[in-house]
Amino acid sequence: MARELHIVGFRIGRETFGVPIAMVHEIVRVPEITAVPEAPDYVEGVINLRGKIVPVVDLRKRFGEAEISSTRKNRILVAEVEHKMVGLIVDAASEVIKIPEGDVEPPPNVFEEGELNYVTGVGKLSGRLIILVDLTRILQKGELRRLGEVAQSQLAASA
Amino acid sequence: MSFFSDDRAAELRDLFFESAAELLQNLNEEGLELEKRPQDEEIVRQVRRTVHTLKGDSAACGYQELSALAHELEDVLGREAAANSNGSLAEVVLIAADTFSSMLSAYRGNMQPPAGDELRRHILSLTQQPAPAPHRLQASFSWPEYEQAVIADAWSKGETVYNVAFAIDRQCPMRGAALQVIRNAVQDCGRLLAIVPDENALTDERDVVEVSLASEQAEAWIEKRCSIPSVTSQVLVQRVYAPIDAYTDDVLEIGIQPLIPAEATAVPVFQPFESQSTVPANTETLLRVDAERIDALLNLVGELIIGKSMLHQCIGEFDKRFPKDPLRGKFADAMAFQSRILNDLQKSVMKVRMVPVEQLFRRFPRVVRDIAKSCGKTVNLVTSGEDTDLDKSILDMLAEPLSHLVRNAVDHGIEAAEDRVKAGKPAQGTLRLSAYHQGNHIVIEVNDDGRGIDSNKLVAKALECGILSAADKAALSEAEALDLVFHPGLSTAEQVTSISGRGVGMDVVKTILQRLKGSVSIKTAPSAGTTFYLRVPLTLAIINALLFRVENQVYAVPLASVVEINRIHEKNIHRVDNHDVIQLRGEVLPLVHLAGLGRHSTGAHRMFAVVISLGERKFGLVVDHLVGEEELVIKALDDQLVATDLVSGASILGDGSVVLILNLSGVVAKLGRSHRIMMEATA
Repeated sequence: MARELHIVGFRIGRETFGVPIAMVHEIVRVPEITAVPEAPDYVEGVINLRGKIVPVVDLRKRFGEAEISSTRKNRILVAEVEHKMVGLIVDAASEVIKIPEGDVEPPPNVFEEGELNYVTGVGKLSGRLIILVDLTRILQKGELRRLGEVAQSQLAASA
Repeated sequence: MSFFSDDRAAELRDLFFESAAELLQNLNEEGLELEKRPQDEEIVRQVRRTVHTLKGDSAACGYQELSALAHELEDVLGREAAANSNGSLAEVVLIAADTFSSMLSAYRGNMQPPAGDELRRHILSLTQQPAPAPHRLQASFSWPEYEQAVIADAWSKGETVYNVAFAIDRQCPMRGAALQVIRNAVQDCGRLLAIVPDENALTDERDVVEVSLASEQAEAWIEKRCSIPSVTSQVLVQRVYAPIDAYTDDVLEIGIQPLIPAEATAVPVFQPFESQSTVPANTETLLRVDAERIDALLNLVGELIIGKSMLHQCIGEFDKRFPKDPLRGKFADAMAFQSRILNDLQKSVMKVRMVPVEQLFRRFPRVVRDIAKSCGKTVNLVTSGEDTDLDKSILDMLAEPLSHLVRNAVDHGIEAAEDRVKAGKPAQGTLRLSAYHQGNHIVIEVNDDGRGIDSNKLVAKALECGILSAADKAALSEAEALDLVFHPGLSTAEQVTSISGRGVGMDVVKTILQRLKGSVSIKTAPSAGTTFYLRVPLTLAIINALLFRVENQVYAVPLASVVEINRIHEKNIHRVDNHDVIQLRGEVLPLVHLAGLGRHSTGAHRMFAVVISLGERKFGLVVDHLVGEEELVIKALDDQLVATDLVSGASILGDGSVVLILNLSGVVAKLGRSHRIMMEATA
């Protein structure tokens, strides 16, 4: 019998993304967020998660989603990345998806180029595509700084 | 040893290492005492007791080598040693402390302990006077800092390291070339790591050459290869089992600890002296508790305080809803009772974490003595305020910066005796370590009566290294010039010595103090000496804070730094030198605008100035609304994602929302300046 991957699926824009269920602590509604000065743009601030202070990243901003709307479906995915808790704002999150390991393909070349090398694979589930991502890479500071530099240099080039 | 299960044995060993560290500290102190009063038999007895305990404990743990050596030492101490050792006993005791300490480190790392031959030799010389001097090659193998790093590096890569000593033949016809010949011979055997003396030619006084070598050959082979007729008269090859062998009576405190990577050795630590706790006079009433358990306790107290403020808020709402209900009084009573108990609980737990500064200071007499000795100076160390209490975690972190400052003071600050006499100062230098309270802070002073820091020299050096441009130089204030001391890689020492001079240390001092939310400042005068002030918060855990609102977000500042609060009006704000200021009872107060910190801006005209004091200076923080005063449990922010100088931590309020605690020095430094720059840009 083929092994199955247990994935927490969440939606950003029109796509479904997935992270291994072991990384996700819980999924909560978006509470009041305290903004932190000088934090990067995609860091929304910090929240109180039952007495713990947890930084919150807006994954939609991180993924460069153009339209960001706050609806009642928005959720915070609380994940443990490198022994630290971090909250990720997503458009919606609800399902646990089971994908047989054989149905996961390595990321197509498109994803490997440039900034998007945090995609670890693409899962197929009854006609849907689920993009599996590596949270550690998404949250890496060096990576993001480089992205910022890339954006700036592009700005400078276009100006 | 095998009476116990493995777990039990490991536990026993941990206990042993802890108590042994204490014993060694005692031994060090007794050695220093003995140096002052060599004839005092009571001290000798104390030393003997200490050594005896160490012997017993180490034997119980199965550390035979250490136990045997301690036994030999104890034997010598019995024979009225103090009376007829004419002072060399103190030296032996100190060497013993070092030897034991390096053996312990080796045991801890599960390695073969050094043989302690040097100590044996000293013990022997005590018992047989005059010493039975068979001509034996005497080598100390004391390497300078950099070479130690190289050796440790090679050693950590698993290479076999040998210490080789050459005695130069006194009849050697070509002393000048001897060193080169030796060099060549050594390089034939393997990789040359270090050589002392590191000059091109041998001087006449020197007839021992010491080499450190990484080689795959066996000892005997090297010995044979290195015996060069008519150049060397004797060759000694020693395999090094741990880099800690570098401990000798000349270079004590910069020995390399096994298992520490090479880059860490750039910042020497005094590991053998660390992790002692108070010396128990009556052990029965003292309890050893893991610091983590206390932290857990403190955490719970923190949660309770949050719970208290939640309850407080509920009762407030209840008051509003049922203003006439008799239950209100009962609630208020219960609330007051609970907060009193909670207060006491918090204080008690905090007190558990507090330890006297003495624990930090007590390692320095030895350090000062050794450094002073190696630079040929005499330095008197005076400490005061040892009973000042400080949070254990802060204390532990202060050890490193403090040792840098002490080294620097002895090595660079205090001049050589003849220079001091010329300058009209007593030949003996004085180094003062003192600790005292100042508001919510503890100040630790390191004061020397040496030559002082020459800020001109600093500036010149900074220009030379390209740290400073000529334009910067013109705008530099005296204080800013002195601050250059903390710049990494800048050292005014003409010569890099094994103790200091690489310009790494001061940088470390500043970084650690910043991490502790503290500060460091310097006061210096040419030839009158230098004083460093290390200012650290009393505790890192719970503070009384003032809460206020700026642009609809609540922030907190430590109440201890708030001097007063004033209502101000837009029309009273003046602009002086591109700074917003107000006049307050005839004093000019610079303002710091917090607006712009958050993301939403409001155009409020009524506002408050919260006057804060930061060291000597005062600033007015411009805030929109005041919220109140509250006890906050500081929680660290995730440093990776939301790291900023502006915020020192966060806390949770009674309603469950998160409040940010501002780091005032960061806020003033950043917003004060950025405002000025903004103004300049628009002007």
